[in-house]
Amino acid sequence: MKAPQPLTSERLFTEFVDPVDATLCVPANTTAAQLQAQTATHHLRFPLLADPAASLAEHFAAATHAPASHRFGAHCDNVLGINWRLPSGRTARIGERVVKTTTGYDWLRFLLHSGSRFGEPLDYVLRLRPDSRFHAVARIDGSATSLHACLHPLLRGGWMHWWDAVDYIAGDGPPFLRIAIHCPPHEADAFQNELSRIASQSRAQLTFTPSAFPSAPSTDGLPDIVLKTTPDRTTALADALARHSVRCVALCYSGVVHAHLPPERARAEHILPLIQPLAPDLHALGGDWRSRHLPPPPPATAEAAWLRTLEDALHAH
Amino acid sequence: MPAPTSALLPRLHALVPRGRVFSSPAQLAGYASDALGYKSYTPDAVVLPADAEELAAFMQGARSLGVPVILRGAGTSLSGGPVAAQGGVVVHTSSLKAIRSISPDGFWCEVECGVPLNTLDAALKPHGLFYPPDPSSGPVCTLGGNVATNAGGAHCFRYGVTSNYVLGVEALLLDGSLHRFGGPAGGRGHWREDWKRFMIGSEGTLAAFTRFWLRLLPLPEKVWTFRATYPDLRSIEAAIHGLVAHSAYPAAIEMLDPRAVTIVENSPMAVGLPRDSFLLLTEIDGPAPLVDARVEPIAEILRSTGSNDVAFSDQDHLRQKLWKARKAAGGLLGQISPDFLVQDAVIPKRALADILQFLYDEADAASIPAVNLFHAGDGNLHPNFLFDSRKPGDLEKVELISARLMQRVLDAGGTLSGEHGIGNDKAAYMPLVFGPDSLRLQWAVPAAFNPAHQLNPLKVLTARRFTP
Repeated sequence: MKAPQPLTSERLFTEFVDPVDATLCVPANTTAAQLQAQTATHHLRFPLLADPAASLAEHFAAATHAPASHRFGAHCDNVLGINWRLPSGRTARIGERVVKTTTGYDWLRFLLHSGSRFGEPLDYVLRLRPDSRFHAVARIDGSATSLHACLHPLLRGGWMHWWDAVDYIAGDGPPFLRIAIHCPPHEADAFQNELSRIASQSRAQLTFTPSAFPSAPSTDGLPDIVLKTTPDRTTALADALARHSVRCVALCYSGVVHAHLPPERARAEHILPLIQPLAPDLHALGGDWRSRHLPPPPPATAEAAWLRTLEDALHAH
Repeated sequence: MPAPTSALLPRLHALVPRGRVFSSPAQLAGYASDALGYKSYTPDAVVLPADAEELAAFMQGARSLGVPVILRGAGTSLSGGPVAAQGGVVVHTSSLKAIRSISPDGFWCEVECGVPLNTLDAALKPHGLFYPPDPSSGPVCTLGGNVATNAGGAHCFRYGVTSNYVLGVEALLLDGSLHRFGGPAGGRGHWREDWKRFMIGSEGTLAAFTRFWLRLLPLPEKVWTFRATYPDLRSIEAAIHGLVAHSAYPAAIEMLDPRAVTIVENSPMAVGLPRDSFLLLTEIDGPAPLVDARVEPIAEILRSTGSNDVAFSDQDHLRQKLWKARKAAGGLLGQISPDFLVQDAVIPKRALADILQFLYDEADAASIPAVNLFHAGDGNLHPNFLFDSRKPGDLEKVELISARLMQRVLDAGGTLSGEHGIGNDKAAYMPLVFGPDSLRLQWAVPAAFNPAHQLNPLKVLTARRFTP
């Protein structure tokens, strides 16, 4: 077969909304609130954001998951493509605009959370989800035993797939569970009934609060520290951090703890003493931690050579 | 200069003393192609390490062999992936088939690379858990091959592909080093960067995988499966658009064209499907109070878009029969044609009918039968071109149709491959996808981990040739 002519320039993404494919391309500095306004007109949503005022680039630099990752997966499973400005100043297309690809090596997932180490994002292609027009937040209060008894059916039962988020909130008064629901209005009662059943079986108290439509993005804000562990260790990790007066949002199925610090404590001298005792156990499980207030750690010895090769390609003109 | 086979064999036996080394023509013939079949490349030898330890020992000595090394699971690839395109030694990892651990409360399991996909699912079922990727080759394909190709399957429309579920990869590089990228927690581990991202979907070109940590989900409580027939492409496309936008989030949306249905109905897998229509197969799952109430709205989408024949069931034996027929359809093609080539392009779903019509027109004009059965919800086409590679000109016709199709797919905003990988079958099209900068980034990945291209040469990028 005759070899095809190679491209002489990048096939960069341009801004678009594709309501049929539920995908769109927007600049990386688009805020969560702006994105919400744009997608709502098509009855679609991008549920994985935490701070209405923060840009997409800030979200993806700060965290790998959001509360709704419980239902829709990590950020990297919902970002399809990026226009990426290389350190050379040139722009490369990374990824695709369709919902699955195995075309070539996966630079998208490698770069998405790399901050500005290898260049910077200019535009993102996002996978959107149908907006079902009813949103509610349920809160379950109770003893530690009750809350853990509730977690089992919330995570292991057949309803698990249909909660938008199941979060354990610690460090801001007594711990409680927060369950986000997003469904068609006519299904709201079924969700509320199931939560009532779970709460009453565990002798916990349920508060069910519908929110206005269109539903606003989560307002937890960008986390100051993100820790990744296994799902069964998440609440204990949140409790450990909460003992230091840190507000924690534990994303129970994702195995992620988002730690939120008062502004005056969001600095290295406060963050490192919190993390250092926990890091060895996280690493042993293949977990990790990151903070948007700290530079990344130096590369491990073995990865330095791999990084040099990649950086040569990223910096080349 | 590569060593002659006679010199190679004693060295292979020394590297895998407890494993096996194959070298007879009859033994090698079984490894000459993958499931694509129409191109064959006989390896110089095949080794079967006895376990992970022996695979590690082999990889430590492999560089000095001076020949290409091709990792292979069950060989069900459909892209010319695990074949010795530049000769060399095929390493068959079927002995590494232990399910080492299942953590029901941690939602993860640890498995060796040679575990067949359906074997894992059978082991998970008693725990009320499942591992969602479900390629049609599930009874035989291995998790190593699944990770290497970032495999998908029918239910990936809602649940996502392999890369969504890999928490960690243990990888052996050709410098003899063993690395764990991630683990049960699914993060970076002690690394600064998330290296497992490059490993997943790397098609055996970066490292040998020994074991994985995989994320699990609770089994759905109840499932309804629907089938509907349509008279034409436009109406079935409308049905697909309606389903993907629905808040019931169908788990799978599959399409079979009339030729595919006929092939199924002419086989022992027949389930009584109408032969002259386009068939849509979709499935919803969830807890009974939710999913039962969603049945009629889904049926109404199917009817309102033009189907006069909508059937649905929550009976497991009926559902399984239908899925068995769907999943067997690809394999049945091998029984009716000497050769077939299947493409794996992904397109925006608004272009489904147009591109399928283009494909039929091209194939009909070349007198090459084209059969379509694919993951319509993802826009992931699987056109199968039936031909006879012994017939002069047939293969050239199929390759020309494929090239035109790929250009049309890219013009529509699509991509070359959704779940099969590039292998050597689609490598020639890569320059159509990547511009100069992104192509340089593509080359940088194997340059970092396998700079001599000794692992699986001539795959992904056509010029990835091993030079001893």
